Formats: sequence, structure tokens, C-alpha cells
Amino acid sequence: METEELKQKIYEIVEKSKVKKKLKEKDVIAAASEETGLDKDTVKKALREMIDVGKLMYSYSGGASSIEIPSEEYLKEKGLL
Amino acid sequence: MAKKYETPLLDELEKGPWPSFVKEFKKAAKRSEIASDGLGQLEKSYRTKRGYWKHGGIVGVLGYGGGVIGRYSSLPEEFPGVAHNHTVRINQPSGWFYTTKALREISDIWDRYGSGLTNFHGSTGDMILLGTRTENLEPIFAELSSIGWDLGGSGSAMRTPSCCVGPARCEWSNIDTLDITYSITQEFQDEMHRPAFPYKFKIKTAGCAVDCIASIARADLSIIGTWKGNIKIDQAEVKRYAKNGMDIQAEIVDMCPTECISYDKKEGLTINNEECNRCMHCIAKMTKALRPGDIKGATLLVGSKAPIVVGAMLSWVIVPFIELKPPYQELKDLTRKMIEWWDENGRARERIGEVIESKGMRPFLEYIGVPPMPQQVKAPRRDPFFFWAKTDLK
Repeated sequence: METEELKQKIYEIVEKSKVKKKLKEKDVIAAASEETGLDKDTVKKALREMIDVGKLMYSYSGGASSIEIPSEEYLKEKGLL
Repeated sequence: MAKKYETPLLDELEKGPWPSFVKEFKKAAKRSEIASDGLGQLEKSYRTKRGYWKHGGIVGVLGYGGGVIGRYSSLPEEFPGVAHNHTVRINQPSGWFYTTKALREISDIWDRYGSGLTNFHGSTGDMILLGTRTENLEPIFAELSSIGWDLGGSGSAMRTPSCCVGPARCEWSNIDTLDITYSITQEFQDEMHRPAFPYKFKIKTAGCAVDCIASIARADLSIIGTWKGNIKIDQAEVKRYAKNGMDIQAEIVDMCPTECISYDKKEGLTINNEECNRCMHCIAKMTKALRPGDIKGATLLVGSKAPIVVGAMLSWVIVPFIELKPPYQELKDLTRKMIEWWDENGRARERIGEVIESKGMRPFLEYIGVPPMPQQVKAPRRDPFFFWAKTDLK
């Protein structure tokens, strides 16, 4: 599987759970690894690349962290839009 | 900047002989709208007995998941200066040693981008810069990293490791707390900046059992310096303590938790080292007469925390003695194993101590590869952490 395809899959997983549940990094990695059959390290690497360029980001609530899709406002503020 | 708010309730906190955060807040309010409106909102909170802060959300620097704690005012029209009021955590140097030059540089950056208010230090150990706007986060980070600083940990991550001043100022330190903390901090950079755990994980290193940083009460992994062998006694100094008025029976012998010390004016001090639990009380009291044994190392304890999901817990012994020499590989590998087990078994917002309590000590020890030992029993006859497995029964 191409990296871009994997990244798209990761994005879809986060998007799908948007209103249902806040996903931790571990949850995203496990779900993407299960769906694609790729090992967790490969998925983790792709996820981290997405976070580094602002495609996904870490969020924080009540002391616990999760992975989310950044808002337009956030991307503008970071000069990514 | 002219005074914006009357603060009769906060003024009360300036009275008395103690330092007051209100005094510092007022000083900062003369130069900063963030501090000025912060003061106004706080006075309102005191008056109405309500909090007006909203926490969390998507705030941080690109690529990092920690180091910034988002805070917004729920009254942004009334107090626009604190509409955004984020906290920035900066990884402190081991033992909190700074040059005045470094402090000036940090203060200058913070005066430009934030409220000017700081907290040296937060309970995590980090430098805390209090109050800035979202758009200032990237510039603050860029400027601080250009002079060698990095963000600390927050959220479900490895929190910034911290330690006591150790051998830098204290001759009783059994381990090099500063070097251990620096080495651990470098080792776990990814875990600090990319929050991937069920919840927070804190490591605090104390040079001896006096535990000046209270690691036994505040760290998921408490590293406490200790020794092997007999306490060294200088009987001439013991006599001098007695001559100078120390009541050795009351202050030392009767205070020994394991009752392993006896004192006789003629014979001097005797210690049954087999029974000693290395609490440091006698050594800390008679610094000139007693010294720890020569083989130095640390005890590793796991599981302390403040009350959130369940009540407060103290750490308990997992490894009674480990030698700690650079590059501390055994410690690092063991820490990784502990984290792996916790990550596999913990639910969101569960600390490692809570998971051990619910799953039992046995699977934890089996996973990390540490054999059961008597020292791990926290409370004899009522310890809930050991269970018989079917394979143990004949």
C-alpha cells in the first residue's frame, strides 16, 4: 500500500469517529493497522508525518490527549491554509 | 497602563507576612493587559464564587502534543485580555539550576509575547509561563528553541522528568540525580512531545530517602537513592553530638522506624544493619557521625498519584536495589517495559498504579521480568496485589 493511501485511511478513521469518540494515538494506530494489515510502526510513522504537517493534530481535554482533525481556524493560524 | 479594576477581595490576600501572588499580579498588570484582565476576572470569581476558565482544546505548536495547556475565558467580552490565556510549560534544567542570563532571556521573550507572569516551578517541575494568546505560541516556541529551550510534557504523555538538587548541593545523595534526569529526558523525548499513553506518566528522582522532591507521593516511577552495606559510624562524632546537647535516645534511637539502633553513653551508637530500612533519619540528623554504606544505587517504586479516578496513592517498591551508572540502560529498558504493560492494559485516564491495583501485581511483575520479592509487599498480611494462579496450586 502506498503511504498516501495509508494516510488517507488514517484520516478516514479519525474523521469517522469525530462525533462518537475521541481517539488516542494508540487507537488510531491499532485501527489503521487492522484495516490495512500493515504493521503498527509503519502506521505510526505515517500518522506522525500527518501531525507534523498539520493534517491531523493532538488535542487535549481533562488531562487526556487525543488525535483530531484541525479546524480551519487552526490551520490559518499556523499558516497552513 | 492605568488601573482597570478595583480588587478589594484580592487585596485581602496581600495582607500578612507571606509573599502574595496578588502583589506580583498587580505589578504585571501595570504593563500587560493579560495580567490586568486576569486580575479583574479573578476578583469577579472571588465575588461570585464561580470559575470562568475553560480548559483544553486544540492548542499547541505544530507537531507537538504537549507543553501548552489551553485556557480560555468564558467572559471574553468583559475581559478581552484573557480571552486566550494559555499556559506554556518549558522543560527545566535538572535540579533547577539557571544562570541569570538564561532567566533574563526567558523573561524578555515572555514579556514580549505573554503576561510576564511565571511560576517557578509548577508541580511537574517545569518552568510555567502563565497567560498568552494562541497566535503567540509559535513565535514563543521558535524564540525559546533558538536559545536552547524546549517545551515540557503535558496531557497523556511522559511528563518532564524532575529531580532533587542531588550531588550538586547535597553530599548525602546516593545517586547522580541530575545526570539520571537529563539522560531520561533525552531518552523519552518522543514520549514527552507526542502524547500516546492512557494518561500521564511522571518520573521523579531523589538522591536519598529524605526525598526532598516527594517522589514517593508524586511520581508514577519514583527513583530513590539508597545503598547496600553498613552505615558508617564515627563514634567520636557521636560523642560530640551528645556533648553538645543532642538527646540521642529521643531524637535518634526512639525515632528509628525499625528500632534497629541502640545507644549507650560508653559504647556509643550501635546499628543492626540487617533491620535498617535506609530511611535516612539518623544520617540526616547526625550528618557528621553517620554516613551511608559504599555501594550506592537506587530503589525503584511505582504507582503514586494524586486523587482523580481513585484516591491518592504512594509508590511502592518494585526493585529494591538497582545500580545506576551511565547510560542507565537497565533503568530505561525497565521503564519502557512498565509503560508498555500499562499502555496495553490501562483505560483512558488510568495511571499505572491504578492498573496494577486492578490487574494485580503478578501480571505486572511477570511482564516487566522482575521476580517477586519480600520488599515488594507494601502492607504485610493485607497486601492485595498478589494472587495465586492455578499453576501455583498442587
